Amino acid sequence: MAKSTIKLRTKEKGGKIQVKALIKHPMETGLRKDKKTGKKIPAHHITKVVVEANGKPVLTADWSGSVSKNPFLSFSYAGSKDDTVKLTWTDNTGKSDSIEKKIGEK
Amino acid sequence: MKRRSFLKSALFASATGAAITTGIVSPNMAFADADTAAKDPFKAKSLDDVLKLLGATDAEESDKIKIKAPEIAENGAVVPVGASSDIDGTTEIIFITVNNPTPLAAKYTFGESAVPAIKTRFKMGKTTDVIALVKAGDKFYTAKANVKVTKGGCGG
Repeated sequence: MAKSTIKLRTKEKGGKIQVKALIKHPMETGLRKDKKTGKKIPAHHITKVVVEANGKPVLTADWSGSVSKNPFLSFSYAGSKDDTVKLTWTDNTGKSDSIEKKIGEK
Repeated sequence: MKRRSFLKSALFASATGAAITTGIVSPNMAFADADTAAKDPFKAKSLDDVLKLLGATDAEESDKIKIKAPEIAENGAVVPVGASSDIDGTTEIIFITVNNPTPLAAKYTFGESAVPAIKTRFKMGKTTDVIALVKAGDKFYTAKANVKVTKGGCGG
């Protein structure tokens, strides 16, 4: 199976679940030029990231091209270690990927 | 991974204090063109337009918002930025990189159980103020930090 574009790490600490995610994505702004051809590289960036815990959204992120390449995201929410966390991203070309993990699962 | 992020937060904590004292916002007027800014705040080209489209022109400055951003970013392509809010009822944290071609960088909407704090990474074309806009209830609050960029990350 192809490797997922998302690395997701979760950890329970004192009733809070810390979520860290690293997404592999070029995040082209659409403003950058190709050095060889001088043509603009078309925009290709993630526009939406949704993190759900047990099917309920805990974080929704709307991104522009200002978010760095291979974006990183870290936050926490009040939950239990039996939760299942799901992260889904969608980019401006309509591509998307998602990953689902139990707390603490590598 | 764990140790690395710990080191980072320790570094940023020291930068935060100095950043709060930086001067007033100066929107990049070169990009200000009300006609080209459509209704999508993500496409708006000036700080004023972004605030207008978000309905946040009367945002209050608040010391309950903590921004973590490096004072000097050697590589503008990857600038770690974090923000947290102690304001009750915080539902959104919005990041605006003032001098980027499209200032609105990201908007985070928090669910009921989420802690209103976020860490992420941005690109910065040049030295800029980073504004964290916090929405709590119907009101907006802001805080900002200045990041000096020695090498641009937006290409072009």
